Amino acid sequence: MTSIKRNKLLLAAGLTGCLLLPSAHAANWLMLQGTEPAGEAARAKVWGFIQAQYQNDSSDPNAGGGYIPPKLIGPNLDDQSGFNVNRARIGVRGTGFPLDSKVNYFILAELGNNGITNGDDGKHMTDASITLNHIDGARVRMGLFKYPGAEEGLQAIHVFDYINFTTVTNQLLLERFPRSTDLNHLPPAPTPNADMNAFEKSVGAFRDVGIQVFDTFKVNDWEHSYAIMVGNGNGLNYGDNDDNKDLYLYWSSEKVFGGKGGRREGLKLFAWNQDGTRTNAYDRTQEQDRTRTGVGVKYLKRPFRASAEYMQGDGMIFQGQHRPEHMFNNGEAEGFYVEGGWYIPNTKWEIDLRYDTYTRDEFHPTSGPNQGIHESDFDTITVGTQYHFNKKTRINAEYSARDYESESPGPSAQQIGVKDRFAIQVTHIF
Amino acid sequence: MIKITKTIMLLLFVTLTSNIYAADKPFAEKKVVLQISDSDPFKQTLVLNVASNLIKGYGPDKVDVEIVAFGPGLRLMFDENHNKGRISGLVDNGGVRFTACGNTIKKVSKKLGGKPVMNKKANIVPGGAVRIIDLVSQGYVLIKP
Repeated sequence: MTSIKRNKLLLAAGLTGCLLLPSAHAANWLMLQGTEPAGEAARAKVWGFIQAQYQNDSSDPNAGGGYIPPKLIGPNLDDQSGFNVNRARIGVRGTGFPLDSKVNYFILAELGNNGITNGDDGKHMTDASITLNHIDGARVRMGLFKYPGAEEGLQAIHVFDYINFTTVTNQLLLERFPRSTDLNHLPPAPTPNADMNAFEKSVGAFRDVGIQVFDTFKVNDWEHSYAIMVGNGNGLNYGDNDDNKDLYLYWSSEKVFGGKGGRREGLKLFAWNQDGTRTNAYDRTQEQDRTRTGVGVKYLKRPFRASAEYMQGDGMIFQGQHRPEHMFNNGEAEGFYVEGGWYIPNTKWEIDLRYDTYTRDEFHPTSGPNQGIHESDFDTITVGTQYHFNKKTRINAEYSARDYESESPGPSAQQIGVKDRFAIQVTHIF
Repeated sequence: MIKITKTIMLLLFVTLTSNIYAADKPFAEKKVVLQISDSDPFKQTLVLNVASNLIKGYGPDKVDVEIVAFGPGLRLMFDENHNKGRISGLVDNGGVRFTACGNTIKKVSKKLGGKPVMNKKANIVPGGAVRIIDLVSQGYVLIKP
């Protein structure tokens, strides 16, 4: 699409400018999640976190009184407001044999109510991996874990500075896996039981089962990291569903300012690529390539935080939580976000501001007035605040103003009513 | 006569080596031995913090600090230990001594199928517990963080 190509150029130029700024959480997620500190890791460290939230969506229904998914609160997509325990995770990590620091493990289960657990799959393991650290410069991690990729997906969710993902991350990267029995939920339905979630399988949760070779190299104040992973490309499912494998590539270079863990201060530049092929769940004789690419920057030096990331994707473009039958497509999409935070000095308060935009091909493969490919645009501005009770407990509140539109008259009539959303969430890590 | 001379020389050597570290700080007014024998990673940080605070509190010349590791606490003195940089700093800047238990190293070697690579800053003594008792009998105060 012409406008997408033009936007790519503009955004690439803009992002280059951002990259040059000497100015978010610059943590080394590959090492934090995949390794343990040598010589001091516990045999089994029990840990986890709980996130409880309330969300309210003030969007208007369509002319028939129905609501599309962006106007409803997930994962159920039944109503426009509600309390939810969206994440309750518990896990164990460490070195099973503490004298040997060259082997460590990581296991984590999701017991909350979200895209991972809402479908037929129910409560789910999100991580189960073993890392072998025997080769200098080439650590090996195997099992189920977060694949190397975009910052929003790769980062530890319990230190995420917002409650909801950006639209580009939610739609382009958070992969959905339709089953052959998943049918579109159309037309949009009225509340309180809209039931607009038509997918019965878990979302991919930015994870895959496979093998990853990775490591980090320190050069003065800089840390250079790489990761190469081959996975099933089948999300949280332990087994594969076809013969195709996904290839993930990742690089980051970070100037470390100080601190440690998920809120280490530094300036991180990163780029990533994912390349795979999916089999059509509704017609297993058909295959479709799926690629995702991104580049970004993250800066944190208190009291300031800033980050930006551009992402682009080809194939298997998500068409809405109510339309699983439209997932198999060769469309394109792209988007980016720019965000920043300010830690108010000498207080426990933090203020956050984020702009994200996403442009996707809109597919209407069936006959009718909307058939063909159209473009939809999703712009969101989010203003948030965080109060840190202590380093393990915080409360987030955010208000998102959304502007959605489509070239296609049908979707446009649905999206025009998308309005603002309010969310508040308490996170406690143990 | 030769036998007597040899015996005297050997006794002199043993006496000198057993007190060689204590002689590093002739002006020390306080003498402290810190014990780490726990597998809890937090204890590693804690014992290093205590040593650091002692050096800060009294000054490097006024306090003589030795950290003795044995049992599960030996991991602190593995060469791969995550705290290696801190250990070097305490040795080089604070004159803190790090002592590893030889008995534990033997046990660990059997479990690992080979000798662990120890931090070069660590001195190895035959027995960690014996070392602590010797130091206490020399007037050291024992702290077990």
